This record gives sequence, structure tokens and C-alpha cells, in this order.
Amino acid sequence: MRFKIIKLIIVSFFLALIAGLFHLQIIKGNEYYELSRYNRIRIVPVEGNRGRILDRNGVVLADTRVSFDAVIISQEIRDKEELFSFLSRTLEVDQDVLLKIFKDRSAAPFVPVVIQEDIDQKKAVVLEENKFRFPGLFVNVGAKREYPFGEIGAHVLGYVSRINQDKVKKFKDYGFSIQDVTGYSGVEEYYDNFLRGQDGGFQVEVNNRGEQVRLLGMREPVKGQDIVLGIDARIQKIAGNLLSDKRGAIVVLDLDTGEVLGMVSAPSFDPNIFTDILKSRKRSRLFLDSSAPMMNRAISGQYPPGSVFKILMALAVLDQKKLSTDKTFLCNGSYPLGRRSFRCSHSHGIQNFTEAIAHSCNVYFYNVGLLLGPESIEEYAYLFGLGIPTNIDLPYEEPGLIPDPNKAFKRSGRSWSKGDTLNFSIGQGDVLATPIQLVNMISTVARDGKEIAPHVMVSIGEAENKELILSRDIDVPKEYFEDVKVGMKAAIGDYAGTAHLLAMNNLLVLGKTGTAQSSQGKRHHSWFVGFCPETNRKIAFCVLLEHGGSSYYACRIAKKLLARMRREKII
Amino acid sequence: MSRNLNKIIWIAMIVIVVVGLLALYSASYQNTRVSQKVFFDQLILAVVGLLAILGLSYIDYRKFYDVAYILYIVNIVFLIGIFIFGHYALGAKRWIDFFGLNFQPSELMKFSIILVLARYFSDNKPKIAFHHHGLKADFFSDFLIPLVLVVFPALLVFKQPDLGTALLLFGIFIVVLYASGIAYKYLVGLFGIGLVSVPIFWSFMKAYQKDRLLVFLNPNIDPLGAGYTIIQSKIAVGSGQIFGKGWLSGTQNQLNFLPERHTDFIFSVIGEEWGFIGAVFLIVCFFILIMTSLDLVERTKEKFGYLAGIGIITILTLQTVINIGMVLGLCPIVGLTLPFVSYGRSSFVVFVLMMGFLLSLGRRRTIF
Repeated sequence: MRFKIIKLIIVSFFLALIAGLFHLQIIKGNEYYELSRYNRIRIVPVEGNRGRILDRNGVVLADTRVSFDAVIISQEIRDKEELFSFLSRTLEVDQDVLLKIFKDRSAAPFVPVVIQEDIDQKKAVVLEENKFRFPGLFVNVGAKREYPFGEIGAHVLGYVSRINQDKVKKFKDYGFSIQDVTGYSGVEEYYDNFLRGQDGGFQVEVNNRGEQVRLLGMREPVKGQDIVLGIDARIQKIAGNLLSDKRGAIVVLDLDTGEVLGMVSAPSFDPNIFTDILKSRKRSRLFLDSSAPMMNRAISGQYPPGSVFKILMALAVLDQKKLSTDKTFLCNGSYPLGRRSFRCSHSHGIQNFTEAIAHSCNVYFYNVGLLLGPESIEEYAYLFGLGIPTNIDLPYEEPGLIPDPNKAFKRSGRSWSKGDTLNFSIGQGDVLATPIQLVNMISTVARDGKEIAPHVMVSIGEAENKELILSRDIDVPKEYFEDVKVGMKAAIGDYAGTAHLLAMNNLLVLGKTGTAQSSQGKRHHSWFVGFCPETNRKIAFCVLLEHGGSSYYACRIAKKLLARMRREKII
Repeated sequence: MSRNLNKIIWIAMIVIVVVGLLALYSASYQNTRVSQKVFFDQLILAVVGLLAILGLSYIDYRKFYDVAYILYIVNIVFLIGIFIFGHYALGAKRWIDFFGLNFQPSELMKFSIILVLARYFSDNKPKIAFHHHGLKADFFSDFLIPLVLVVFPALLVFKQPDLGTALLLFGIFIVVLYASGIAYKYLVGLFGIGLVSVPIFWSFMKAYQKDRLLVFLNPNIDPLGAGYTIIQSKIAVGSGQIFGKGWLSGTQNQLNFLPERHTDFIFSVIGEEWGFIGAVFLIVCFFILIMTSLDLVERTKEKFGYLAGIGIITILTLQTVINIGMVLGLCPIVGLTLPFVSYGRSSFVVFVLMMGFLLSLGRRRTIF
């Protein structure tokens, strides 16, 4: 009995399947056949607009505006040659260029291909008027990313570009191969998930002339979130103009919050060209350029810190109690070691702690280095955030390099020598640091040992970045920071100080210069790293000129930077 | 007589495998999305698999009785191991590396559970049906213990997440319970519990699983997402009409409209390219395979073989019907393969074991 029931159920299951097949293939077969043959279901993607990027005062740094795109669906083209010659005439673009774009972007015959983005309104109207002659041709209303400041501060922002055919994998399973826009480098990449809108679209049924017959369904696109940065557009402008014909970087930090107020890298690029198909040659040139304009030197450029490193040496030797501030060393302009002689910039004579910092005396710090020993220097370098990324919220940050005396043999094939210790002491040899690391280090010193992780983002949408600000305290007594600050004050205030150039009325600046030797034959890297503790907005800043010569040149830029910021009442 | 039954089963099975290979060849023909490797993989699998079935049919199926509990426990260990060592593919953690081979323990669990239930019920005669003893003890031994035996692995499988296989395990349980002769009121009770627990399960389901169920009710609520598969699959099958578009000529198939068409949706390729005639032919082959197997099992007097046979037929039937049903838009998409046709090693291996068991049953039937 039970067996019979099982049999009955199985039979009815199979009958149901055959009935279903009959319904689908025979009763409705014609209808589905038409759907599959001419009247394809087409997915018309509608991109969710990307969120804006704003500076701290609400100035727009990146925005999305309406644009018109010429779009082709290849399976509906009737006369390819005629269509492309028409397009070439109307859009005033070479036919071969259009054909290449078409080939590169084709994914499948039914997927719309954007043949030209952001055509002007007149051309869009011409295309729209001639649409009936060319099935398969459409005008899409789309969105274009715009960066009103162009080259200025481009590295912080990054740029957006369409992913190409290889990278479309995300929506593959849903048959949704939209040619998506993604952020590359800078904030655009780091916060891509927040900025990116959620794509929606229509599913429509069209007839063989490409006209919409009916709407089958739709999903609303969702706009991405706006991001507010700590960046001040005015500082970007000042700093960008100062470096316009140079190579280097400027970083300005807010001492109280760790927000990045300004960050420029030079040479720079115009992020607007990445959304313009016609400028592809210009784009590829950017990536091939030997001056590396795409690299954000402020976080990815690694340079020997030179004498800036002495700040850290001075703190280390006091903290280790290996030296008191009234101890002096005699500088004859060089330090003999074996047959070699390690040079100083001048013959400074007798130098005490404060003078040695103010005059940046190498001989004094050679002695300090020998008192500390290389392992101890290494330890303090890491303590002050060198050799490790600051984890700023920007992609592609480099960690710099702090040599490990115990592994020297592994690296270079010879063991660590006393001479290496001397080079280490003045930030030369293998030591490398990024501008953001050095400005972070001096900020920590300015705050008497409190490190606040530098960051560019202030808020996303409605949410403010408050809990996410990381800070830690470095366990070095406050009085030692004060001692070092006296030296850094003298570097500007003292008549013979290395940065005396920066002495300005009613503006207290503390800091340290650096002239770092680079590879053979090239000019030195020029550094100034400093802070202003008594201005309305307390700032720390760093100026780097790559192969810029003596630190004098960095000081000149720093002076202009401060003067202009003061004139615009930013500080 | 039983020799003849075995012969019919063999013929039906081989025809199904060949049809599957042809469909798979077409699904991967000159295609970038589905590589041709899929076809050759399956070809080797089919040859080796059929030989393995032949070998298994010469082995006494009672050997499976001996290893039932061991296999079950090892299988459970693998299911737990998945959460620790398994890797993700297609959004779920179902695969585990076993001596360099990718393997899905949840597939094997179908067979393990059949063996365990068959052994359990053949060891204890259900008393509930005959009202011999006090009700409480019988309820415990006839109903609760086997239920726990099923629920535990089913939860593990559900967690992967693999809703289809989890439900299938319950399907086996109900049918085997039914065939073991339990009183109807318990089946009705079980059904009631099932209905009540639907909302509970609903709250544990992943978003995409809910989507698939909702979309089944109305494909147009999400035509770009989950509904896309159903719509495209229906268009593919429907457009095949009576005679089909011809092998290698299905536009829906060749133009990549069909996602997962080499695995769960392979039937849509057959429907599109071979039309109503081809599709019905394949369904009839499955029907013959299943009904013949049922005949064979009906003649088995030995309880273990009988119950295990019923379980195997349950799996064959449910997977065939649900898989084709979801391609036709008759049931929700739950991710079950079409036996011997869908691409997939784990699935194939498990059906090899099951058919080997059935054919061994057919050879030995006369002994008892």
C-alpha cells in the first residue's frame, strides 16, 4: 500500500515536469522564442552617482555632474561602416580611434558599449535625432567626475576610471556587466566603497529596432556618500603653486587633531584627464614619465632624512641618560675614524646640546651616535614611527627603512662598522623616511610625546571620524622634549641657526633642517620640518625638495608657505 | 528477471550520462565563461564512474551495512572540518581539500544518512505501528533518535550554507520513516512541526536564500539580480519549442545568458537546443531509471537493502524533479544538481556509490 503511494507520487512529479515543459515550450514557446531571438531583454544600467569630496570648509574638491555618452549595442547594428563614419563625422573623432574603443570595450553582443563619454550637448542632440537611422546607437545620460582644482592636490584625491573588460567580475553572476567606475589612488581609492554609489538599472524589452517595448523591472540607483577631508583647499593652492616647477612634497598637519590640512606632491597630474577617452595618450605618458608624477611623494617617496634625524638622536641620548645638555664636544669640521674622515658642514668649534641642534653639527651627533650605539638608535627610530607606515588613510604608503645593525651582513655582505653608526647618527647611510613620517615625528615631539595618527578624512556622510583617531604616548620625560625644543627654536631664532631665514615677526617657528646626500652625482635632498605652536591653528609641516640642493632652498619654500598662510589668515 | 531489471537500469543510466556529456560539450563550446576543461573533466569522470559502478555491483551491498555508522561519523567530522579547513567557492563554504582533491562532504552526507537510517530501522522494528509497548519508549527509539541522526548533519549543511542539501536530508528521513511503516499520525505531526519551523528557518537564512525564494514567487521583484537567472532560464527552455534550436546552436546558451549553465542549470541547455522532444526524452530516461529501480527494491525482502534502496530512489527522484523544476521556474532555486548530468565531481561520485549499491542489490536479490 505504502509502496503504491510512493509510486503514485513519483509518477505525478514527472507528469508535472512534463506539463511544465509543455507549457513553457509548446504553449508559450513562440513567445519565448521571440524574446530570445529579436526582442532581447536588455539591461540598461543606471549608475548611482559617486559621492563628493569636500575640504574642511565645504569647498568641493571632487564632484560628479551630468554628462552625455554615446552608446552602442553591437548586436543591433545594421551597417557598421555607415554607423561609424556617421559617428566619426558627428563626434569629430577619427574612425579608427572609435573602432578601437569599440573593440576594447566590447564584452558581449547585448551589453551596451560606451563609445564616447561626455560629448557636448549639441552633439548629443544630433545623435538623438539620427537614432532612427542607426539601430543600436543610443545616447545615455551619465555622470562625469570633475576635479575643479586640477593638478593642485591631485595626489590626495586620486582619480576615477572605468574598469576594463578583464576586471568586470563582480556582477558577472548576475549578468550585470556594467562598465563600472572605480577610484584609483588617493581618497578615491581608499574610500571607494563609501564614495561609490549603488548601481541600479532597468530591465526592458526592446523590439528589433532597439525601441523599448515595455519595462520589465527596475532597481533604483543609490547615491554614494560625501566625504569631508581635513584638507584646506587654500593651503593646497599655496603649496601646489610653491612646488609647481619643482619636485618634492609639502605636508601640513593640524597639531591638535592630527588632521592633514595640506598635502601636495610635485610634479602632479590632472585627474580630469582620466575620465576623457581622447586623452589616453596623455594618460599613458603620465605612467611612463621618469619624474613619476603619479606617485604621491608625501607618503610613497622614501628619502634619507639627513639632519632631521638628529631630533630623534637628541631625544634618545637624553632619555638614555648618556649625556647632559651642558656637555660639549669640539668640532674641527670633521671626525677622523681610522683612515677615513667623516665631515661636518662647518668647523663649529665647541658645541653644546642646544647649539649642536641649532647649527646641525655632525661631529656632535657622531659622538652622540657612538654613545648610543646602533641598536639603541634603531629602537628610538621605531619608537618615533620611522621604518613603519603611519597608516594614514591613503593607499600606497611606503614604510621607509631603518637599518638593522645585526642584519647588515645579510644585506650588504659586510658587517656593521663604526662608520655605519656615524652615518646612521646623521640620518644617512641606509636610513629612508617619507615626508609624512617626518612630519608625524615632529608633531609627536611638539606634543611632548603624544602621537596622533595623521589622517585625511574627517567625516563620511553624517558619520564623523572621532573614535577612529588613534593616539599613543611615547614614554620619554617631558623635560627632554623641552630641551630639544630649545635647540629647534634656536635653529630659527639664533643668528647662526641653520633655519634663521624663517625668523619672522610675531611668528614662532621651531624646526630642523636637513640636507641629505643622495646617490652619486645628484644634488642633495633638501628638507625642512617644523611646527608653529603659538598660532591660532597650531600646525606642523614638512617641506621636501627632491634633489633640491641645500636645506636653504627648503627653508625658502617653508618661509613663503608660512607667510602666505598667514596672509590668508589660515594660521 | 532481476538481470533484466539491472540491464534496463544500465541502459537508462548510460543514455543519461551521454546526454549530459553532449549538453556539457555544448555549454562549454568555444566559450570564455565555461572552459572546455569542464567537458573533458566530466568525460573522464563518466568513464571512471561507470566502471566503478560495475565494480561496486559485484560487491555484496551488506558490506555497506557494516560501515554505515563509521562512514556517518567520518562524514560528520568532515562537515565540522569544513568550518575550520574548508574553503569558499561561489559564496559558500562547502569544499574541503582531501588528499589534494576538492570534495564536498555535504554531497556524501546524502549517502551516509541513507545507510545509517536504513541500518537503524532494520535493527529496530518499529513498534509504534503495532502498538506493542508503551508509547513513550517507542516514540523515543522509533522517531526521536533517527530524527537527531538527521537533524545534526542537516544543521551543519544548512550552515555552510546549502539549503537544498539540508532539505534533501529531511526528505530522505521522511520517506524512509514512511517506508519503515511508522504510524501516519507521526508523519502528520512531523509535517506540522515543519510548517511551524518555517518562520524560524526564515530568520536564519542568508539574504540571497531569501531572495531566491521571494524571487520564485515573483521573478520581477529583482529582475537584475536573483530573478535574472529564472527569467533567462525560462526564456532558454521556452525558446527551444518542439524541436529545439539544434546542438551547439542555442543562443541563450552560446551568448552567455545562462549563469551556472554547466552545473545546476544544465537542463536549460538541453531544453533550448533539443526542444520539447529532447527534454521529454531525458525526463523519460530518468523516469525509467527510477521506476525500474523501484521495481527492483520492491522485490528485495531484506530490510536494510530495502530501506536503503528507498532512500536512494528518494534522492534520485527529488534531485531530478527539483533541479528540472527550478530550471522551468516551478520551484525555487536551491542549488541541487541534476544526477549524472550536471558538472561536478562530488555529486557524480555520490551517484556512482548509490547506483553501485542498487545494482548490487539487483544481483543479490535472489539470495534471500
